[in-house]
Amino acid sequence: MNSFWNGKRRFVALLMFLAGVFVALRVPPVIPFIQLPGENFPAGFNVPFTDIRLTNTFVGSVIVWILLLLFVVYVSRRRPKDGNEVPTGGFYYLFEVLFEGLMGFVGGIAGGRHFRLIFNMFMTIFLVVLLANWMELIPGVDTIGFIHAHTKEKYDAQTGEYKVITTDGYEIYQGFLGISYVNGQCDWISPADEAAADQAALVAAEMAALNAEQELEVKAAYARYQAEHDDHSEGDQAEAAGGGHGDDHGEAAGESDQVADAYNEPLAAREAEKSARADRGCYTGVGPAPWADDGAEDAQADDKKRDIPLHPDPRSEEAKLVPWVVLPFVRVPSTDLNMTLTLALISFVMIQYIGFKALGIGYLTKFFNFGTLFKSPLGGIDVAVGLLELIGDFAKILSFSFRLLGNIFAGSILLFVMSFLVPILPWPFFILEFFVGVIQALVFALLTAIFMNLATISHHHDDEHDHADAH
Amino acid sequence: MDPQSTIVLGKAIGAGLAMIGAAGGGIGIGLSVGGAVMAMGRNPDHTATIQTNMILGVAFAEAVAIYALVVSLIILFVLS
Repeated sequence: MNSFWNGKRRFVALLMFLAGVFVALRVPPVIPFIQLPGENFPAGFNVPFTDIRLTNTFVGSVIVWILLLLFVVYVSRRRPKDGNEVPTGGFYYLFEVLFEGLMGFVGGIAGGRHFRLIFNMFMTIFLVVLLANWMELIPGVDTIGFIHAHTKEKYDAQTGEYKVITTDGYEIYQGFLGISYVNGQCDWISPADEAAADQAALVAAEMAALNAEQELEVKAAYARYQAEHDDHSEGDQAEAAGGGHGDDHGEAAGESDQVADAYNEPLAAREAEKSARADRGCYTGVGPAPWADDGAEDAQADDKKRDIPLHPDPRSEEAKLVPWVVLPFVRVPSTDLNMTLTLALISFVMIQYIGFKALGIGYLTKFFNFGTLFKSPLGGIDVAVGLLELIGDFAKILSFSFRLLGNIFAGSILLFVMSFLVPILPWPFFILEFFVGVIQALVFALLTAIFMNLATISHHHDDEHDHADAH
Repeated sequence: MDPQSTIVLGKAIGAGLAMIGAAGGGIGIGLSVGGAVMAMGRNPDHTATIQTNMILGVAFAEAVAIYALVVSLIILFVLS
C-alpha cells in the first residue's frame, strides 16, 4: 500500500487516458438532459418518515455534510493537545496552512471585537460551499443514475382528466456488462410521429406525381398547339403528322417514367432517413404505444394507459415505446436554488444578528434614520439613504444566491457539453471549474465576512471607538 | 413553421438577447482589475488591501452578468 502511494505513478494517468479512449469509442455520447430544479427520485424514495420525495441535490448536500463532519472529526483528532506535541499527517498540514492563511486574510478585513464570530461564519460557509462546488468534478456525479421513463401527466382541460404524455428523451440500450444506458444519438420518436412522417411522405409523393402529370399535360397541349400553328404556316401536314406520331410513343414512355420518379422521390427520402437512423444503431419503426388508442372507453384500458408508460422495466420490449432520460443519483447541491438561497438567508440573518449584537437597538437607525429629519435641512436625504440601505440588504439575498447558483450551474453545463464535444480531453475545463469552485466559495464567504464587519460599524460619531477597534 | 420550432426559435433568440447583459459585467471587471493592477504597481505595499477590494468589486460586477446568465438559463431550461 505504502509503496504504491509513494512511487511514481505515471502509468495511472496512461491507464485513465486509455480508458477514456475506450469509452469514447465504445459508448455513444449522451446529450445531457438539463433541468434547473433538482430532480425528484422515483416513487418510493422518500425522505425517511415523510411523504416528501427525495431530490438528487438533497442527496448531494447530505454527502457534503457527511464529508464535512468527517473532516471535523479528523482535524479535531489530529490537533495537538498541547503546544509541545508535533502534529502529524500531510492532510492535516494542508488544513493548517489553509486555516492560518485564511485567518490572517480575514483578520486583515474584519479583525476586531467580533473577529471570532465573523471568522467562524466565514470558515463554515467557505468549507460548505467549497465541498459543494467541488462535487461537480467527481466522475459519476450528474452522469450515473436511474434510467427514468420520461413521461409526465398533463391535465387536459377539455375532458377534465390527466393524460400521460411523453416528453423528449432518448432510446434505451443495454451496454457493457448489461448496464442500461440512454443513447444520445437516438432521440426518441413517438410511434404517432413515425406514422405521421410516413403519411406525410406518402402525401408528398402523391402531390409530386399529380404535379408532374399536370406539367406533362400542359407541355403536351403546348406541343399540340405548336404543331397546329406550324401546320398552318408550313402547310406540310403529312410530314408533321408522321413525325408527331413517332415522337408520341417515345414521349409517352418518358412521361410515365417522369411521373414515377416524382412519386418515388419523397418516399426514397423517407426511406433514407429511416436507414440513416438505423445506421446510427437506433431502433426503427417502434410499434404502436399501449396508450396511443385515445378512443378507449372502459376503465381497464384507462388503467393500462396510465400504468404502462410510467414504470416499465428498462429491459422489456415496452421500454422501446417510451423515451428515457438519466436521472442522476447525486447532483451538485450548489446547482439547486434551495441550497444557495438557504445559505444566503443564513448569511443575511447572521449579518443582522451581529449588527444588533454590536450596536444594540441603535442598529436600526442605519435603516430608519429619522433623527436628523427635522434638525438639518438635508435630513430627508438621510431617510432616503436609510431606506435604500434596507432595500440593498434584501438585495444581498438575491445576489448571494444567484451568483453561486449561476456560476456552478453554468459550470456543470460547461462540463456536460465539453465532455460531449471532446470525450477524451475535457480536463482543461475541469481545472477551470476547480478554480471557479474555490473563487466562488471564497467570494461567498468573504462577502459575508465583509458585510458582517460593516454591520458592526456605527455611522454615529459617539460610537467611534468601535470603529477604531476594527482597524 | 410548426409551433415546436417556433418555441425553440423564440427560446434561442431570447436566451441570446439576455446574455447581452453579460457585456456590462465584462467591462466592469476589466476596468476594476485594470485599476487594481495599476494601483498595485504604484504601491506594492498595499497589495493585500487592493486585492481584497478588487475581489469585492469584481464579485459585484460579476453578479450582474450572472443575473443575465440565470435569466437565459431559465429561458432555456425552465420555460416550456
